[in-house]
Amino acid sequence: MDVTLQILFSGLTLGAVYAVSTVGLALVFGALNMLNMAHGALLALGGYACMWAMQSLGLPAPLAALVAMAVGAAVGGAIFVLAARPMLGQEGFETRIFIATIGIGLVLENVIHKFFGPQPQAQPLKLDGGMMFGRVNLPWQNVLIFVTAVLMMVGVAMLLGRSRLGRAIRATSMNRDAAQLMGVPIRRIYALILMLSGALAALSGIMISSMSSLLPNMGADPMLKAFIICVVAGLGNVPGAAGVAFALGILEALIQYVFGVQYAFAILLCLVIVVLIWRPQGIFGEREVIRL
Amino acid sequence: MKVNKVKLAAPNVIPGRRTFLKGMAGFGGAAGGLLAGINDGARAQGAAIPVGQAAPLTDFAAADGVEFRNGLIMACDEINALGGILGRPLEPYFEDTRQMGDATNVQAVQRLIDRYGVHAVINGYNVGSGSAIPDVIADSGVIYVHYDATMGHNSLIASDPERYYGSFQGCPAEYWYGPGFLDFLRNIEESGQFTRSNNKMAVILSAGVYAANIANAVRDQAAEFGWEISMFETVNVPISEWGPTLARLREDPPAVICVTHFFPADLAQFMLQFVPNPTPSLIYMQYGPSLPAFREIAGAASEGVLYATVVGALQDEIGLAFEERYKERFGANAGHNSGAQPYDGAYLWAVAAAMAGGTGEPDEFDQNRLVADRMRSLIYRGVCGVTRMNPEEQSARAFPTEVTDPSLGMPHQFLQIQDHTAGGKLIAPWPYDTAEFVKPSWLG
Repeated sequence: MDVTLQILFSGLTLGAVYAVSTVGLALVFGALNMLNMAHGALLALGGYACMWAMQSLGLPAPLAALVAMAVGAAVGGAIFVLAARPMLGQEGFETRIFIATIGIGLVLENVIHKFFGPQPQAQPLKLDGGMMFGRVNLPWQNVLIFVTAVLMMVGVAMLLGRSRLGRAIRATSMNRDAAQLMGVPIRRIYALILMLSGALAALSGIMISSMSSLLPNMGADPMLKAFIICVVAGLGNVPGAAGVAFALGILEALIQYVFGVQYAFAILLCLVIVVLIWRPQGIFGEREVIRL
Repeated sequence: MKVNKVKLAAPNVIPGRRTFLKGMAGFGGAAGGLLAGINDGARAQGAAIPVGQAAPLTDFAAADGVEFRNGLIMACDEINALGGILGRPLEPYFEDTRQMGDATNVQAVQRLIDRYGVHAVINGYNVGSGSAIPDVIADSGVIYVHYDATMGHNSLIASDPERYYGSFQGCPAEYWYGPGFLDFLRNIEESGQFTRSNNKMAVILSAGVYAANIANAVRDQAAEFGWEISMFETVNVPISEWGPTLARLREDPPAVICVTHFFPADLAQFMLQFVPNPTPSLIYMQYGPSLPAFREIAGAASEGVLYATVVGALQDEIGLAFEERYKERFGANAGHNSGAQPYDGAYLWAVAAAMAGGTGEPDEFDQNRLVADRMRSLIYRGVCGVTRMNPEEQSARAFPTEVTDPSLGMPHQFLQIQDHTAGGKLIAPWPYDTAEFVKPSWLG
């Protein structure tokens, strides 16, 4: 029983971490058909901004998280102004923005390195302690990450499905030109999506760094996992990505226990290949994956 | 990239030797006085000697890379204050090795040689470094000191000592972590400080030559020390969720858990998840706990953890004085243990070069051979202890596993975190130990 609980808790924790990493990435691709390769750096930036707000400005944790999200939103807006807007409407937008955001990510990572240094640092926004289920400990921090992941996904789903802005976003993602002809302010939608994604990435970065540490390149691994999850779910499908994140988290924990940690990622990648052979557009995807 | 240096002021009037040596006491350990003596009161004012370093200044190992850079800068400034090398000041240059793959490492070292004409390359570690850098060094003839701590270096040098005369490993190879750890366990058992609950030992490693070589050395010799390896688990990095691994450990609790993976954040998470439901196991980890981040993240859960290093600043008069100077210059959180590596390496080379009559620039093979000869025969007492090269492999000897005389080998230090608000206590080997082993709280 203890083992089953431990695997379940570990799987849900992994899934929650993957889910929070994935939401922003999936949102941008779903709405803008844009792979934001600076997403990993935005995760790191959010984590560091929160630490800075708590330690240098002396803000309480919730306010510091809001400051970090504002910083993430501002950088998301800057990505739109500096990279996405000039390229919008040009041939090969997806490829151009993919490469441009790789560069932006590198710049952001080096800026973080310059201001905060290379040493790993602890994220001050975290919950200590936990509760025991039999002999299995469930840290409060893991609960916080899980709840945050669920709230983020529900929030994004409601925004996309039940709001006027969401309708405009969906219209833009379906057919940009038609949406524009119908009066949707395309550029403003793009800017809002990138700002929202930046804010979500910042919140994700706070959660991820509370489970590991703050490092300028801390976003690289979550970004890789998020990309895999997006591909399996179907690029751009936010609820699908969340479901896949939790499923893969639990599966990974199970493989780690049964076969050993070293086999988990390799087996997961094999499963990804099988899924993509079976459904090239992803489990929940409706169009084929763009091959760059 | 050229460095903006904070130079120690050279004296306006050349002082008497006694006054001069007194003023510079502590620089470079015992070698500082030796170098000053050879320089015979000369001021560092001749043509500068370029010295290079290829270090991971960005990416995942940048925390150490920045300290390697600091260590070399500090050594160069101090050596210059001592008169440089026979009156010629040192001028450091740096190249970034980022993720430390061989291709990047070779390019970085080649640039140092081609662009700056460095007479020596004094590195910390580059974990991806194979045989490629020694080949570049051999082709140019200059001197190379590194702290990769790899058996690969020993094998390479032994395979062709004539070609690789200029490449030196300033610390023992990682292999010595294995027998050193098993020997340490035997000692604390024999002295009654630790009693094993069973003969089982779990070994957790990460994919990578360094961690794997240490883990393999422990596994291969465990039986000789009466241990049975009950678990040999490779983890993918980074890893923050240890639940499945801990579940397996709790099903079959070992007396000792040996973790050779070395990322401090990952190790801190292990302790945070281990402590709420611990097994009666002694926990030994590699390197990561030496970084402040481990204690900051794990907090009180870090107390009781053992860790080791085959190269680090000792907690003695020389080591503590170095730590004080280093932190005064680079900040209270600066990692002086990493900086100590190229710091000692630079002094080793500088003293040998001064004894050999000067350094050699690229393609000056004869002069560099003279320097290398001195380095092979020198016994140098620095902040990390004694550097004495094994002449066949040009790698520092390990004490107490390779040599039993503390004056002839670099101490394999064992430390324990006893208070998470302070650094680790040095509990072995004698005569460098400054504290006793304390039984971790979870062992009752």
